[in-house]
Amino acid sequence: MREPIISFRDFSFRYKTQKNPTLHDIDLDIYPGEKILILGASGSGKSTLCNCINGLIPFSYEGEITGSCTVNGIDTVKSSIFELSNSVGTVLQDSDAQFVGLSVGEDIAFAMENDMLPRSEMVPRIEKNSSMVGMQDFIDHVPFNLSGGQKQKVAIAGVFGNNVEILIFDEPLAALDPQMGMTAVELIDDISKESGKTVIIIEHRLEDVLHRHVDRVILMSEGRIAADMSPDDLLKSSLLSECGIREPLYLTAMKYAGCSLDDNRNLCDLEALEFSDENREKLRAFFTEERQSVRENTEDPVVSFRDVSFSYDPGSKVLRNITFDIRKGERIAIIGKNGAGKSTAAKLLCGTIRPDSGTITLAGTDTSSLSIKEIGEKVGYVMQDPNTMIVKDIIKDEVGMALGFRGIDDEEAERRVTNALETCGLYRMRNWPVDSISYGQKKRVTVASMMALEPEVFILDEPTAGQDFHSYTEMMNFVNTLNRDYGKTILFITHDMHLAIENTDRAIVFADGDLIASDKVFSVLSDPDIISRASLKQTSLYTLAVKLGLEPEATIRHFIEYERTVKGA
Amino acid sequence: MNNKLVINYIPGPTVLHKLTGFTKVLLFLVMTVAIIATYDIRILIPLLIINIIEIISMKPNYKPICTMFLITFVTVTLLGNVMLFIVSPDAGLNNVGANNVIWTSANGKFYLSKEFLWYMLAVFIKRTTSFASVMAFALATTPSEFASGLNKCGLPYKICTIVSLAYRTIPDIANDFINIRNSMMMRGVELSKKASVGKRLKNTVLILVPLIFTSFGKVSSIANAMDLRGYGKNKKRTWYAEHEQTKWDPVIRTLTVMLAVAAVYYIIRYRIIDPWPVNIWCPWLSRDEIVQTEKELFILNWFKKQ
Repeated sequence: MREPIISFRDFSFRYKTQKNPTLHDIDLDIYPGEKILILGASGSGKSTLCNCINGLIPFSYEGEITGSCTVNGIDTVKSSIFELSNSVGTVLQDSDAQFVGLSVGEDIAFAMENDMLPRSEMVPRIEKNSSMVGMQDFIDHVPFNLSGGQKQKVAIAGVFGNNVEILIFDEPLAALDPQMGMTAVELIDDISKESGKTVIIIEHRLEDVLHRHVDRVILMSEGRIAADMSPDDLLKSSLLSECGIREPLYLTAMKYAGCSLDDNRNLCDLEALEFSDENREKLRAFFTEERQSVRENTEDPVVSFRDVSFSYDPGSKVLRNITFDIRKGERIAIIGKNGAGKSTAAKLLCGTIRPDSGTITLAGTDTSSLSIKEIGEKVGYVMQDPNTMIVKDIIKDEVGMALGFRGIDDEEAERRVTNALETCGLYRMRNWPVDSISYGQKKRVTVASMMALEPEVFILDEPTAGQDFHSYTEMMNFVNTLNRDYGKTILFITHDMHLAIENTDRAIVFADGDLIASDKVFSVLSDPDIISRASLKQTSLYTLAVKLGLEPEATIRHFIEYERTVKGA
Repeated sequence: MNNKLVINYIPGPTVLHKLTGFTKVLLFLVMTVAIIATYDIRILIPLLIINIIEIISMKPNYKPICTMFLITFVTVTLLGNVMLFIVSPDAGLNNVGANNVIWTSANGKFYLSKEFLWYMLAVFIKRTTSFASVMAFALATTPSEFASGLNKCGLPYKICTIVSLAYRTIPDIANDFINIRNSMMMRGVELSKKASVGKRLKNTVLILVPLIFTSFGKVSSIANAMDLRGYGKNKKRTWYAEHEQTKWDPVIRTLTVMLAVAAVYYIIRYRIIDPWPVNIWCPWLSRDEIVQTEKELFILNWFKKQ
């Protein structure tokens, strides 16, 4: 038997600021060269576990440790973060914050600089490491012009700088669009194969990580290891839903079709998956069954863009002749890679920037005659990070703030705030301080503060970013209530294809400043041309359809329609 | 990104751009000392010309430089001089050493002397020279070269990293600020000219709350990222930004050393051993004509006259 490179024995950890331990009785061995996925919902302790390996615990986050953790033969408690940094390289979740250099080359060099390597030795190593991640042509580029995916590649090249044995990736997919995420998973896999280093991936997006093979999955739940098994066995078990992890879409489809999961080989890899004959038939039958199709929305348009163009600098158009309508009560996914123009379109609608040409109409009024403040009464824009919106200390004050600025009288304001708080399920907490609530709840507070202005249209910027499946479901149920019961029009700016499939009626797709599609989600997601231009990726339903010899568009439509009937949405 | 704030993030193509950070920082420091040391325009003007040549040689985008020079600089100088004229018309006497009055106001309270005008000119040239030297340095140097150059001049590297980190985060914070301001404006926070100055100030404070909190969050991620890559492991560090010397580096360094020697000689000879009796040399006053006033705060002088 080989010696483990990482080994936890009866390990528990409690943060100094918390009452109860975050990790309980961890016993875990990881062997050299393994590729491990640590899976778990938010707060399951998966990041804490990794911070114990890379030395942030106990050196940056103080707390109480019992048991032992050995990394590469070093007892972490007796070591230092510097000693551990020679063995463990960590790529953090926030690819922007971890970019400390002012150019790509400088950032890759950072670890070597701290090791006092002479510059003459740095340069060839930087060349080697950057070409490994495909960034060799970007060495002089500044961080401000790089995409999230490129920054992440730089970070990977940067941790390679000190020739580490173990690589940890903390939520590598969080900030990436679907195609970049897929590339990242492939890159990590190539690195693990070529270098033979031990690779640990922390994620909650199981399906995306399983795009490439992993040796073992360690499932964390409430600070304990709930499962330590092969991905195949994990998919067959019922542990995923118990621990709040979203299962792969094709697996959901198989369950809907009534397939049994036990007698399929390679369940974790759709490409290599071998269906039993019985399952194949069941799936075919399921996807070809006639079902009542989704009702068409025939309401009047609430938002219309007519030939709208915009540019920040003369000469470089960010948006070119955009025309589209959004009907009242629709749920729209605005899709496209970073910089394609989707945020710009949202800003134009909000009036924070104004079009160079063309008109934008909002509930029948041309927005050029409205001030930002007036548009704010019709459009509620919810930013991605609730912390960038919250100003007041008490929830109720925060929700009522915008009403105060508009001089709405106290009685009416009180009614609206109460109503908004009730709709958002926050009434019980109205007098709580904002600091005491969770991230997901803060997000609700920001929606509620928009709600108080009673707008027609809500724009939600990446509403599910940084949230696990449980809070995702909660958030989406809540937004769907706003849509169904209050008739609000909802625009999602998102990279999350699950969200688009499950919760929207139509997708508006941007690529390089052009609107390239405005169609049903299933049509968009089954058009290979749109998929590649908008940096999306094919969902596993597409692959499944091809595998079964079915038409992808009809297959995805069937799945969506079935899901809506099951969920009653 | 380049040149938007007259900060260069990407090194430019000219000789000065390509010098090592150490050479540039050294030149800038010596230049600063030389400019501080004197009000004598016989020395300042050559320094000014050197700096202007430096700026021109880098073929910069002149627009932001001119705007900065005109708005922040000329207006401040003009305003300052007008104020000075009102509170202390004797500045010429005190600093140049005579009062050849060329104009007096009807009530006799205000008067303008040749020496006052000379004083204003000298101060203006001194300030312009320092402005040009700062500009030349800012245009030539990337923040990383600045940091590595400072470190090589002997400043502890932890302080130098603060410099480069600050430049790293300025554009991000500016971006956050704009986004937060937009969302606040949609909620009805009035930041346009419609609201009074006091109200706008109060509303701006409202934006700062989320801005500060999100920035704090980033600080802890950056600190972790740096720790994990061994920042602070050793007493020293090397710099990727401090590249090999170009063929011009030894030349410029030699010239810098010569300037330093000259500056030190000037300070010792003309400011310590045999100082000029007043601050500013003036072409039409010989040493014997200079009147030395008592060194008093000009405000007090003004009160005495009342």
